[in-house]
Amino acid sequence: MTGRTMAVFRKELIDTLRDGRTIFAIFVFPFLLYPALLMLMGYIQSKNDEEAKAFSVRVGIVGAAQFPAASEKVAAVEGVTVVPFDQEPATYDAADVQALLVLPPDLAGMIARGDSVKVELRYKDADNKSSETAKRLKPAMDEVRQALTLEWAKSRGANATAPPALTVERKDISSKKELGGYIAALLIPYLLIFMVAAGAMQTAIDATTGEKERSTLETILASAATRAELVIGKVMAVLAASLTGAVTGILGLWLSFGVLAAHLTVMKSQALELSVSPEKMLLLFLTLLPAAIFLSAILVAIGCFARSMREGQTYATYVYMASVFLGLSSFTQSESVPLKQFFVPILNTALLQREILTDTVQASHAFAAIGSSSLLAALMIVIAVRLFSNEQVLFRT
Amino acid sequence: MIEVQGLRKTFHDRKKGDVPAVKDISFTCRPGQVFGLLGRNGAGKTTTLRMLATILSPSAGTAKVAGFDIIQKPAEVRRRIGYLSGDTKLYDRLTGRELLTYFGTLAGMEPSAIPARIDALTKPFALDGLLDKRVGKMSTGMKQRLSIARVVVHDPEVLIFDEPTSGLDVFGAREVLALVLDLKKRGRTVIFSTHIMTEAERICDEIAIIEKGSILKQGTLATLGAGNGSGSLEDVFVEAVKGGLDDR
Repeated sequence: MTGRTMAVFRKELIDTLRDGRTIFAIFVFPFLLYPALLMLMGYIQSKNDEEAKAFSVRVGIVGAAQFPAASEKVAAVEGVTVVPFDQEPATYDAADVQALLVLPPDLAGMIARGDSVKVELRYKDADNKSSETAKRLKPAMDEVRQALTLEWAKSRGANATAPPALTVERKDISSKKELGGYIAALLIPYLLIFMVAAGAMQTAIDATTGEKERSTLETILASAATRAELVIGKVMAVLAASLTGAVTGILGLWLSFGVLAAHLTVMKSQALELSVSPEKMLLLFLTLLPAAIFLSAILVAIGCFARSMREGQTYATYVYMASVFLGLSSFTQSESVPLKQFFVPILNTALLQREILTDTVQASHAFAAIGSSSLLAALMIVIAVRLFSNEQVLFRT
Repeated sequence: MIEVQGLRKTFHDRKKGDVPAVKDISFTCRPGQVFGLLGRNGAGKTTTLRMLATILSPSAGTAKVAGFDIIQKPAEVRRRIGYLSGDTKLYDRLTGRELLTYFGTLAGMEPSAIPARIDALTKPFALDGLLDKRVGKMSTGMKQRLSIARVVVHDPEVLIFDEPTSGLDVFGAREVLALVLDLKKRGRTVIFSTHIMTEAERICDEIAIIEKGSILKQGTLATLGAGNGSGSLEDVFVEAVKGGLDDR
């Protein structure tokens, strides 16, 4: 590392830290916007919950007369008005109901013969009110099934007046900490990638295309610094900005979900225990480093190539979107990820970080991810230096 | 010392094909001399000076700057030059001191030597009050003084000025010319491009009239003036350019 490279690094950092847009993106955004968004989400969710409980719905029952118990169970649900139908309406929409319970014709006969009986609750997930109605009817549907079972048992000669007290209940026993760990493993790798890319964008384009646009490029090209010293200094500054963005982003999330959500009533539903041990944090940082260098170098290379800030920002947005997409892809991966996916840039880092957070790291995965990312980072720096040394690229109009 | 030998530069344009910007030019500029490149916009002045500053590579020919070949030893050349173009700007978010420190470091100065050098430049360049002020808040004249201080912070042997007074008012321009003359007095080799005749008359010891990438005439003010007998550089320039155009 030469003194000139360090000088470029320092200068770019000062320049970045005095740029209001970067300060906002790196420092203000995570500590103000995340909590604000979280509060808004909590507020909207609690409002939605209240509204879902309050609104009245109409539930149609086809063939209600065959089995009055169904109507009774449904009518007992708060805010539900039963609309009986003798036969199926021509269309769901024509029925003017939020859900339609369809009992098969000849229900009693089917029960008596021991045939399988299918009762359908028709609703629309695409319609919020209909979807909420289906959720609200869930306990009533269990009761309808139990009542049908009782009828079936009676038809078989059983002497029973109430359904058997047999229940299978789903109960989530995850602690807040476990839930926080699961969400952390899913979200943190993606968020780190997203924040690194977002943090790098502005600084990279400002440090490269910005030099062209502000007519300062020639002053450094005519200086004694080599092109490699200039580019590496710029990549280092972009890297520092991107990693700072990632750190403040994670701190902002922790502040929002771990601290504020636990203490503010409106955000209670979002409270999570996002605790990640210091050792894991260090490992996350180390695995992030090659990917962050790769992203910084690719954005600096783009900045060297672009003719204007506008063009540079357009190209940088594509890189940002590609990073976000690759980071998001890690969400959909199953537990056993094939080795070849650990050679895909960005995705490999997100996958490896997920393994770190879930204590399932495989050595081959770590070597593949860190090795390929480091190689690509080095390659991208070489390309950036080449572009910065090419007068046809630098002075293209 | 600058020795230019058969320097050429051709740019490739997708539509126009090869476009020659500088065609086989040669001249010499000695220490303690201001050599003027006088030409209209687009004559090839900036391309020539960019090649001497090793920002662009020549298509043919070469030049020696401070004893080093611009093709073979560009890094050595850059260490010994100060380059200023009227189009180049400074970093708005840095203070004057940060800017001079940055360029001093890029030039390879010892970090410990930079503050003393800045102190030494403060009086001649009237940098008082500018050193701790951000560039973005400075007037055009202040910026230009700081720009020249930036160019000489590492005390280079050779100074390359490409229309350094462009965009300045008469006071700013006079200030810049005075600084250039001071550099000449101190034995520096100065090459200075301009399209303003009075500037060239005032500070240049030798002038090359450049048009469409070629040097049409070259000499001291006296020898150029003696050429057409009028004594006015503007007349000499107009005659030379007209003649050059007629020849084509």
